[in-house]
Amino acid sequence: MSEASHNAKASRSAFQRLLQAASSQIARHSSSLLLFMVFCVVIAVGVFMIGDLHTATDQAQRMYAGSVQGLRQIGELQYEAQETRRSTLYALTTNDSNLQVEYADQSRKADGLVTEGIAQYLAGAHIPRELELGKRLQRDWAAYLKVRDEVLASILEGSTKEAVDMDLTGGVPSFDRVRQDLEEVKRLYDEQASEQLKVVGLSSRRSVLRLVGVLCFTLLFAIASVWVIQRSKMLSALKLAKMQMDFVASVSHELRTPLAVICASAQNIADGVVDEKEKLAKYGSVIGHHSRQLTELVNQILLFASTHEGRHRYALRPLQTSAIIESVLTNTRELAEEAGFTVEKSIESNLPPVMGDFSAICQCLQNLVLNAVKYGGSHPSIAIRAFRGGEDVPYGEEVRISVEDHGIGIDASELQQIFEPFYRSPVVKAAQIHGTGLGLPLAKSIAEAMGGRISVVSKVGVGSRFTLHLPASQVVGAENAVERVAQL
Amino acid sequence: MRRLLALLTMVGAAMLLLEVSPGTAKGDPSPAAQASADQNLAIIVNQTNTIDDITLKELRTVFLGERSHWPNGRRITLVMMDPGVPERKAILRDICRMNETEFSRHFLQGLFTGEVFVSPKTLSSPTGVRKFVFNVPGAIGYVRASDVDGTVKVIRINGHGVDDPEYPLRFEARDSK
Repeated sequence: MSEASHNAKASRSAFQRLLQAASSQIARHSSSLLLFMVFCVVIAVGVFMIGDLHTATDQAQRMYAGSVQGLRQIGELQYEAQETRRSTLYALTTNDSNLQVEYADQSRKADGLVTEGIAQYLAGAHIPRELELGKRLQRDWAAYLKVRDEVLASILEGSTKEAVDMDLTGGVPSFDRVRQDLEEVKRLYDEQASEQLKVVGLSSRRSVLRLVGVLCFTLLFAIASVWVIQRSKMLSALKLAKMQMDFVASVSHELRTPLAVICASAQNIADGVVDEKEKLAKYGSVIGHHSRQLTELVNQILLFASTHEGRHRYALRPLQTSAIIESVLTNTRELAEEAGFTVEKSIESNLPPVMGDFSAICQCLQNLVLNAVKYGGSHPSIAIRAFRGGEDVPYGEEVRISVEDHGIGIDASELQQIFEPFYRSPVVKAAQIHGTGLGLPLAKSIAEAMGGRISVVSKVGVGSRFTLHLPASQVVGAENAVERVAQL
Repeated sequence: MRRLLALLTMVGAAMLLLEVSPGTAKGDPSPAAQASADQNLAIIVNQTNTIDDITLKELRTVFLGERSHWPNGRRITLVMMDPGVPERKAILRDICRMNETEFSRHFLQGLFTGEVFVSPKTLSSPTGVRKFVFNVPGAIGYVRASDVDGTVKVIRINGHGVDDPEYPLRFEARDSK
């Protein structure tokens, strides 16, 4: 049960870390995200334009099929209707029965095509006006054919006069009605074609407007994206430049102060102002102290540079937490005592060894202790505690070393920025507390290189607690464990 | 050798017989009746004509132009084929009982005296005759039975259809010579 709970906690923690990492990546790669969004918008616009073109093409095709082909069919109907009548009249012009029969046959073939065409028109009719017109045309055509049949019969019988009379009285008026019907059908098609042309024109104009709108939007979006990207880059560059200027100023100040002391002491000695042995020893001590301070500062800068560029190599091995803390306290004791700080130490028994590079971890923890001294304010006490961490970490088990002070504290809005290189809080600048802005970034880099991390809890005016989380070594007590090299 | 030649000759003759009369091999009921039907002449009228049966005597009055209207009131239009065509010869022989000269003289004389009311229309092909009859409601004509289609109506003569053995109008092979 406990193992299952442990696994679930570990999974949850891993997921949370993954989310945090993803958020961090997103924030870091906002430019790429914006470019990706621009790409998506361009693709969407392309798809939209293709769809719009398809719609316009469909409308044009429908118009062609509906009106242009309809007009062509009506033209054919008109021709065949004329052919029907023409062949009938040709039969009147000859007395040869064979020719008359041939003309009658031609007339019947043509009328068959007209009848079929009218049926097709009726089948394709959708609106009431088309249906009414089609039915009327069918009725008038049937009436004409009835007269035409009688006329043909009379012609073939040889009753030409009777045929002519019949054609004049019945055939001509009925054929005129058919012709008018066909003209009306043609007009209707013309009207429909005009209406559809208007629709296509409107649709085309609408498409153009839509495309212009979408293109404008895309352009504005792209411009805005580029502006945001450029502004972001510019702000970052400005921020970095400002930090570097601050850093140079801080470093100059940090260098100048001990150098001034060293110079003044050396000058006094050279001028023979200091002739007593005790004073000489004191001056030597001062020069040595400030020289070490200078060396420490230069080393820290060089270490950060090498860490930042990924050139530094660490030799990882199992380390005892107590040894780390002892080493750090020894290195910082003099400084803490000078500042009047008391250091409370508490180490949990049976802590597992941690995996890391001894000098690097000492440097990391030392930075935290020095910060506690520097920003400890009016409550000169520091508490260093080492204890076993929770088991809900990806690497199984961890050891935590916390450094707690009761100083000025850090505002919540600055908790993320304090780990950025060269960052110095306006509060500490105003308080004339000198520094380079490299201590915490260096400590963070080292912790991460060891597979751990640094967390911070702070409240303005109450104090801060920085905790170094280090993974416990899997090989407990293996003093001769094989060293592995991690490259940053 | 001679026996072999005789045998081959007999086999060839038998195959020729089979080739000439395929109906025999297929087992048709009456080859003679089939040949007879193919040689009959059908009297055709327009589909709208109400007449179904006609006697040979009535047919003679029609073909001699001595009858002007059908019972339904439509004017009779007589359709003949060109002179010399076997079908025309058969009609003149079996219905009009005249030769070509007598037939022409009959119409010339009849039209002059007013005894003949109808002047025959002359067409050159059975298809033309059929189409003419199809187009003219009062037309009457003749074609071979094999040339008949659904566009025209075939009438019975003396109660006999064109397929009956007793059908009186036959087109004989010698007419085509």
